[in-house]
Amino acid sequence: MGEYKALNGAVLKGDINTATAEMQKAIDADKNVQDIIDNGLIAAMDEVGERFSKGLLFVPQMLRAAKTMQECMKLIEPLLQKGDVTPKGKVLIGTVRGDLHDIGKNLVSMMMESAGFMITDLGVDVPPEKFVQKAQEVEPDIVAMSALLSTTMPAMPQTIEALGKAGLRAKVKVMIGGAPVTENYAHEIRADAYASDAGSAVSKAKKLLGIS
Amino acid sequence: MKSLNIPTFLPRLKVLNREQALAIHQAALEILEKTGFKMEHPDAHQMLVDAGGKVTNDGRLTLPAYLVEEALKTTPKQIALYDQKGNKTMPLVDGNPFYGTGSDATFTLDLETGQRRRAVLKDVANFARLVDNLENISFAMSMANPDDVPVEDIYVYVFAEMIKNINKPIVFIADSGRDIAKIYEIACLVAGGEEEFQKKPFMLNYSEAISPLRFPQNVMEKLIFCARKKIPICLPSGSNAGGGAPITIAGAMALGIAENLVGLAVHQLTNKGAPFLFGPNVSTLDMKSTVVSYGCPEWSLSQSALADMRDEMYGLPTWAYAGASDAKVMDAQAGAEAMFSIITAMLSRSNLIHDVGFLEYGNTSSLEMVTMANELVAMSRFFTEGIPVNEGTLALDVIERVATGGPGSIFLTDDHTFDYFREAQFLPQLLDRSRYDSWKEAGAMDLYTVCNTEAKRILSEHQVEPKTDEVLNEVDRILKGR
Repeated sequence: MGEYKALNGAVLKGDINTATAEMQKAIDADKNVQDIIDNGLIAAMDEVGERFSKGLLFVPQMLRAAKTMQECMKLIEPLLQKGDVTPKGKVLIGTVRGDLHDIGKNLVSMMMESAGFMITDLGVDVPPEKFVQKAQEVEPDIVAMSALLSTTMPAMPQTIEALGKAGLRAKVKVMIGGAPVTENYAHEIRADAYASDAGSAVSKAKKLLGIS
Repeated sequence: MKSLNIPTFLPRLKVLNREQALAIHQAALEILEKTGFKMEHPDAHQMLVDAGGKVTNDGRLTLPAYLVEEALKTTPKQIALYDQKGNKTMPLVDGNPFYGTGSDATFTLDLETGQRRRAVLKDVANFARLVDNLENISFAMSMANPDDVPVEDIYVYVFAEMIKNINKPIVFIADSGRDIAKIYEIACLVAGGEEEFQKKPFMLNYSEAISPLRFPQNVMEKLIFCARKKIPICLPSGSNAGGGAPITIAGAMALGIAENLVGLAVHQLTNKGAPFLFGPNVSTLDMKSTVVSYGCPEWSLSQSALADMRDEMYGLPTWAYAGASDAKVMDAQAGAEAMFSIITAMLSRSNLIHDVGFLEYGNTSSLEMVTMANELVAMSRFFTEGIPVNEGTLALDVIERVATGGPGSIFLTDDHTFDYFREAQFLPQLLDRSRYDSWKEAGAMDLYTVCNTEAKRILSEHQVEPKTDEVLNEVDRILKGR
C-alpha cells in the first residue's frame, strides 16, 4: 500500500467515483499495470477480506468494494495484453443438475472473483456433462459445485465421476458447498474440499492451490 | 355490585395499518402485472395464458390483477386439519394459532451425548413421538433430512416414519409429482380410502417456489397434484430480505406475496375451492454470515404483518414460524429467540406456525428445544387469553372476608383460592421457580438439562396408538416399490 493510498481507501469504502478517478490518475501516470492491480486493487480487497472475516464489515460493504474493484478493472482492461495479468487460479462453478438455487453460488463467485480468481460461472441446473465440457475448454484449477436440496446432492458425485471418465479428475480440485452439504459428505464423495460459506470458500480455494 | 357480563379483551398485536396493508398488496399486484415471472411447468403456463396471462418477449408471464383477485375469492377462508383418527384438531381460521415442528434439518443434537450429529431416520421417529405427546405442539414435520435412507425416496421414507410414530396432523415435504403420489397413497391407507382422506385431511404439503419469481416444474407438479386431490398446501418462497428479495421488509413481503399469488392462481385454476394456506417466508439474510436467520425480529414482524393483511383483506389462514433460534446450543439465546417468535406469532394469531425446535438457523434440530417450546406456548397462551373480569374474578366478597376475618385469615386458605388457582395462574411444568436450596438439592439443573430429562422420559414412556398391521404392511410394500 502507500503509493496507492487514495485508491486503496476508495476501494475499501466502496466509493466508485473516487476509486475510478484515482485509477485513471494511476493509468495516466503510466504506472505498471500489474502493479496497479496488485497494490492498488487486490491489496485493498485483501484488507476488505480481512476486515470481513473479523466481523468489521458487512456483506453489502464487501460486495460494494468488489464492485468498485470491477469498475476500476474496466478502465484497465483495454490496456491489457494477453498474459499481462495472471489470475490466482481459474474456477469453474455451477449449481448442480436439478437444482435452481443460486444465491449462495453467486456469492461464492463474486467473492472468489474479488480475491483474484478467474471465474467461469455455468449458472444453475448444470448437468455433469456440461461441467466436463466446459472444464475441457477453460482448463480450470478448481471445479466448484453447489446444491441446496438434498435430493440434488447425488449430482455432485455424478459430476466427479464424469470428470474422472473424461480424464480430468487429477487435473482439477473439486470443491462443494450448500445447505445440506457437510464435510463428511465431501470425504464420502471424494471431493477435495467443503466450504460452509462464501468467505471460507475463498480461503479453502487458496489453500487447495497452495497460495496465500 | 350488579352482575357483570363483560367480554374479555384478548390481547392482540397489530403492526400494519390498513393503508400499509393495501400498499403492499398493490405492490404485489404490480410485480405480477409488470415484472412477471418464470413459469417452468408447461401446463401451468398454458393455464395462466388461457386465463388472461400475457407472455413477455423474454418468455416471462405477467398476470392481470383480476386473475389473482378472482383466485383469492374462490379460495376457502378456513382449512380444517384433522388428526389421523379423524378428529378436527386444527381448524385453521382467524384467531387459532397452532404450533408444530419444522422439516429437513441436516443435524440434530443427540439426546444422549448432547453433541451435534448428522440426522438419521430414527430421529424422525423420536421427534414425531415427542410431538404426539406434547400438549401444545399440534402437528409434526420431519425435523430431519436423514442420511440413512435412499435419497430418491427420502420424503416417502420420512413420511412413513411419521405415520408410524404420531397420530397428530402432519405437514410434509415432497420432491415432485412422483413421490407425492406415493405419500398420498400412504395417507389414503391411513384414512381408510381416498374419499375418507379428502373428507378429513390430516396432512398439508409444504412446497417452495424460488425467489425471485421462479416456478420450477417439480414444484408446480406438487401444487397441481395437491389442488386436484384437495390436499391442503402452502407455497412460500425464499423471499428473505436481502437474499431472495430486497433487504427492506415491505419489498420482500410484496415479492413473497406476489409469488404466493401466482401459486394461488395456478392452484385455483386447477381446482376452485381447493384449500391453500397463504404466506411467504420473509426472514432476513444475516449481513455477516449470510445465513437466513431463524431468531431475528424481522421474520416475526413480517408474519405479524401478514396476519394483519389477512384481517384487512385476504381472509386466508396464514403460514408462519416460531420457537426456533440461530444459537448452536440450547442456551439463553435459544430461549430468548424462541420465546420472542412464539409470543408474537400468537399475539398476531398466525395460524399454522412451524419450525418449533430448530437451532442453528434451522440446520440442527433439538428434542429439548421442542420440549421447552411446549411450555413457552402454554405461557404465551395464558397471556393471550387476557384477564376475565367478573364477579368471581374481582372477588370482592373474598377481599371482604379475608380483610375482616381477623388473625389467621389469609387468601391462601380461602376456598376462592382453591377454586380458582388452576385457571387464575399459569402453572409451569419445566420453568423452575423452586427455592434456591431445593433447586440445588434436586441437582441444580438448568433448563436445558430439565428439558433433556423430560424429553428422555417422554420417549421412554409415551406409547403412540399404533396403526393396524394391515396399514403398516401396505406402507412397507409402497416403500419397497412393489
